[in-house]
Amino acid sequence: MKIRVTTVLFWIATVVIVLGFIFPILWIFLTAFKARADILSTEFSKLLIFSPTLDNFRYVFAWTLFPKELLNTFIITVGSTILVMLFSLPAAYSFARWNTGEGHLLFITISTRMFPGIVAAIPFFFAFKAAGLSDTHIGVILLQYYFNISFATFLMYGFFREISIELEQAAMVDGYGRMDILRRIIFPLIAPGAAIVAVFCLVFTWNEFLFSLLFTHHVARTLSVGLSLFWGSLEIQWGPMCAAGAMAVVPTLVAAWFMQRYIVRGLTFGAVKG
Amino acid sequence: MTTYAATTETGMPRRKSFWDIILSERYFKWTLIVPLLITLAAFMLYPTFYSLYYVFMRFVPLKEASVFVGLDNLRFVLHHPHFLGDMANTFAVLVGCLIVELVLGMLIALLFSREFRGQNLIRGLCLLPLLMSPLIMSMVWGYLLQFDYGFMNQILSKVLQLPKVVWWGPTMAKVSVILLTSWQWTPFTVFVLVAGLRSLPKDAFEAARVDGAGAWYTFRRLTLPMLSPLIVIIVMLRSMWLMRLFDPLYGTTRGGAGTESVDYLLYRTAFSYFDIGQACTIAIIALFLTLIFSFILYRQLMHALGVIK
Repeated sequence: MKIRVTTVLFWIATVVIVLGFIFPILWIFLTAFKARADILSTEFSKLLIFSPTLDNFRYVFAWTLFPKELLNTFIITVGSTILVMLFSLPAAYSFARWNTGEGHLLFITISTRMFPGIVAAIPFFFAFKAAGLSDTHIGVILLQYYFNISFATFLMYGFFREISIELEQAAMVDGYGRMDILRRIIFPLIAPGAAIVAVFCLVFTWNEFLFSLLFTHHVARTLSVGLSLFWGSLEIQWGPMCAAGAMAVVPTLVAAWFMQRYIVRGLTFGAVKG
Repeated sequence: MTTYAATTETGMPRRKSFWDIILSERYFKWTLIVPLLITLAAFMLYPTFYSLYYVFMRFVPLKEASVFVGLDNLRFVLHHPHFLGDMANTFAVLVGCLIVELVLGMLIALLFSREFRGQNLIRGLCLLPLLMSPLIMSMVWGYLLQFDYGFMNQILSKVLQLPKVVWWGPTMAKVSVILLTSWQWTPFTVFVLVAGLRSLPKDAFEAARVDGAGAWYTFRRLTLPMLSPLIVIIVMLRSMWLMRLFDPLYGTTRGGAGTESVDYLLYRTAFSYFDIGQACTIAIIALFLTLIFSFILYRQLMHALGVIK
């Protein structure tokens, strides 16, 4: 009987923990369907018992640029991720295969991730204004690319290091050229890792706020900036905010499913393998 | 090994073309890395030198041309009514979050340390906070902790019969920021520590059990020391991210109620007051502090990756 009791306790604790972690996320979805009066009600029962309405969603589509912001965010996210993969893959391969720069360059790469984004934003704010890149997709794509490149390179570096050099050397003995080795041996082996890194970049860019706030206004405005605008001068529009937020988090919820095995590795730059 | 020593059809060596050189065995590794280096130079060196330059200048765009002012900016920032306070705020939130995340994360990790049925589902659900947009989540937490109709206060007053808490007032705002930030990041600690706990050697614990060591003693003398490299990595990474506290403030207090962080002050100075000289001075100080952290972190990461022994 003793085992049964601990099992029950374990599951009670687990349910409490999981509820604690997902409750605020559930709350977005719940609030999205609440009428304004129910949201602002101090009646306890209104927290969970209310008649659902689609008013908030109607408001979002009628009065905000939500569809456009969604499209912008999509373009920026995909565009910057493609750029990141294009440049981080070869660099990571070079680091892993030849130890290029004897670790110093790797250090400089990783320190980009610690470089305060806001510090970089100041000169680029003026440079982009002058170059006409402010409030354009290209401008934000470039910034998001910079934001993710070091992280992606470092994580890819970890994946490349798992491919043994002997494999390449054997191929060379068999008369494969450098390009053949890359195409036929390295690429198939690295593809799953590259996919994981890409998903990480997609999620990070999707959620990024600071650069979007400073560098997009009307034309290239992203979802997170649009969401911050529900904080009006008079009140915070919780209902529409949650409706837009609920729609905005759906892609990340999908991504979460793919990333769960690699989350530890991703967030520790590959230092800890989960 | 392939060599790209190009020859013409007649067998006479011709001048090596640009492509021959960058694809040659000797330079290929650099060819691969050049785009990254250009990116880093553009996005790190340029802002660094820009900031270093404007530390010594008074510059308010559209208002006045930049003038050399020596160390005036530095003097002003150090006597700024908010600068030191904001440093203290950032530090307080950093320490608060680290404590909550480590203690709570360790407890949850110990609970999940053994393999159990349904663990994939549980893991999938627990990682959700990590992937949510910090801005959206902070706004939602702003709502949950709202004074009149927020969920927390409703529970406190209606269910527990306790007085309502002014979550976003001067006394509690920092705690609220810590609450929402550690809610989002505790799963990170949990995942890293679970990974660590599951890879610990079983026989040492078996031996301790045979010797009759208690659970607390085993934890303190065996588990904790063995996990310490991971804890260091968690602390370093989290400190680095927490120093960049911005989104949670933008979504809740907008720097009010004694929560303003250094990055938020930077944001205000640069993009509300457009005082670039002062902003760059704060930026350089922030940069310097970050650099210290990144040096320590670098060794830990490289060690964990097996690059340096």
